[in-house]
Amino acid sequence: MLRGDEAEVVLFTLEVAALATLLILPPGLAAALALARYRGPGQGAIETVLSLPLILPPTAVGLVLLEVLSRNAPLGSWLAGRGVEIVFTWKAVVLAMAVMSFPLLVRSARTAFEEVDSRLVGLARTLGCGPAAAFFRVTLPLAWRGVLAGTVLAFARALGEFGATVMVAGNIPGRTRTLALAIFHDNQVGRDDRAAVLAGITALLAFAALWTTELLTRRLARRAEE
Amino acid sequence: MIEIRVEVPLAGSDLRVEAQLPTAVTAVMGPSGAGKTSLLEAIAGLRPRARGRIACDGAVFLDTGQGVRVAPEDRRVGYVPQDAGLFPHLTALGNVQFGARGGADRVETAIETLGLRPLLSRHPRSLSGGEKQRVALARALATSPRVLLLDEPLGALDVELKERVLPYLVRIRDEWKVPMLYVTHNVGEALALAGHVLLLRGRRVEAQGRPLDLLSSPALSLEAEAGIENLFRGRILGHDAAGGVSRVELEGGLPLTVPLAPAHPPGAQVTVAIRAEDVLVSSGPVKGLSARNVYEARVEALERTGVDVTLRCALPNAPSPWLARVTPAAVEALGLQVGQTAWLAVKSHSVRLI
Repeated sequence: MLRGDEAEVVLFTLEVAALATLLILPPGLAAALALARYRGPGQGAIETVLSLPLILPPTAVGLVLLEVLSRNAPLGSWLAGRGVEIVFTWKAVVLAMAVMSFPLLVRSARTAFEEVDSRLVGLARTLGCGPAAAFFRVTLPLAWRGVLAGTVLAFARALGEFGATVMVAGNIPGRTRTLALAIFHDNQVGRDDRAAVLAGITALLAFAALWTTELLTRRLARRAEE
Repeated sequence: MIEIRVEVPLAGSDLRVEAQLPTAVTAVMGPSGAGKTSLLEAIAGLRPRARGRIACDGAVFLDTGQGVRVAPEDRRVGYVPQDAGLFPHLTALGNVQFGARGGADRVETAIETLGLRPLLSRHPRSLSGGEKQRVALARALATSPRVLLLDEPLGALDVELKERVLPYLVRIRDEWKVPMLYVTHNVGEALALAGHVLLLRGRRVEAQGRPLDLLSSPALSLEAEAGIENLFRGRILGHDAAGGVSRVELEGGLPLTVPLAPAHPPGAQVTVAIRAEDVLVSSGPVKGLSARNVYEARVEALERTGVDVTLRCALPNAPSPWLARVTPAAVEALGLQVGQTAWLAVKSHSVRLI
């Protein structure tokens, strides 16, 4: 069975992963929409930069974050001057998860937005909607499947985040230790049995998230057809 | 008055339109690619690169010289695209309510006018082409538009559906008094609805004016031939209820018997439409035929139109030529030639009053 500190790790992981997913939703959907609609110079470069976390080793991304947030860097010292500590705190865990999950959300949502007939958006405009209202009343309702799938994918990716987290947040029990980090730690100290239990829990959580989404998507789709 | 002086950049060549349209129904006609849809989109505000000036009854939509470009949502135009453009995630009612302005009354009246009551809970996917068009029209009307922009609202419909939707358009014109720009390829539709025609060709205005005035111009008669229609002005002489017919005198004095049309009182001006393929052609005098209308004519031209041949025939008392469409086989069998005398016959039931 789960010991108290293990249950804490599970809960903590769920919380930070959910928070990271929520945080990237607004900028992620905005970026997806911009990529779906924007055609022009620099398009390829922007897409590549946004996809970088997918192809770089997570530890490299973690290193970049660590450098940017260190007290020697402008952003880090600015934040420190305001008493905001990020590195080696739970905030760093959220940040690492957010950065690593971001491209997955964007890619999925972007494809969904591209499939929305842009003439329908234009029609919504002629029917009195401003750009924001047209997005929430037409684009999003027509693209919700892809957006939901991307959100769940991002959440699942956040649950399993390891490389960037360990670089920028460390592996501090009770403070920044997530499931993925705990598995690594248990293995390192020779407790493979506990590592296996935690690995099973991680798999179960990711499976539950994906499966719930699948079910929800099907039910909503059926309701829309009635 | 709708004032248009606009340039719309398009692939190939730009669309340039300068026109003053009366605030009634204007039929926008012309071949495919002439720029009809682009013009409607520019008026609706969906062509961000359009330049020039567009004003509708004093409300300025666009005046790039003055730096004015009103957003589409502030123009209050009712735009109905060719495929209706219904929102697939909403029911018919949800679509009609989408942009409603002026309260529930407005929605109710739009639903009533277009006979949508039985369709309200259905999704666009389960609606027929004609039903979709009616929902899209109601959606546009419910926004209390300053102007309606209809892009071939009947184009995708077969003849039977057309005849069911057309009366709704006439109702909108007569009861709602909303100015309309109405894209159509069909001269009969244009005449039935419009008081003004704007003819585009090659992304320029080729002609504009009253439909029947344009009809004699080569510009519009080309369009008429594409729809292969004979259109004539006339007036009702009287009705023969027992015989099931009404008598019409066409301009120039030609008599024409049409199906009983008691809605038009004697003396009323009417426009009659006869499809060119409904005109029978005989090389000799016609006797013992049920067709009520038989005329002696002279073949002035034989033109190949698609697989068929269109005969252009001059009748002694008709100001404009009659068109008859026959097969090449018939031309050969009858030995039809330019200059020859032929007899044209039209059944009363082939004549439509519009």
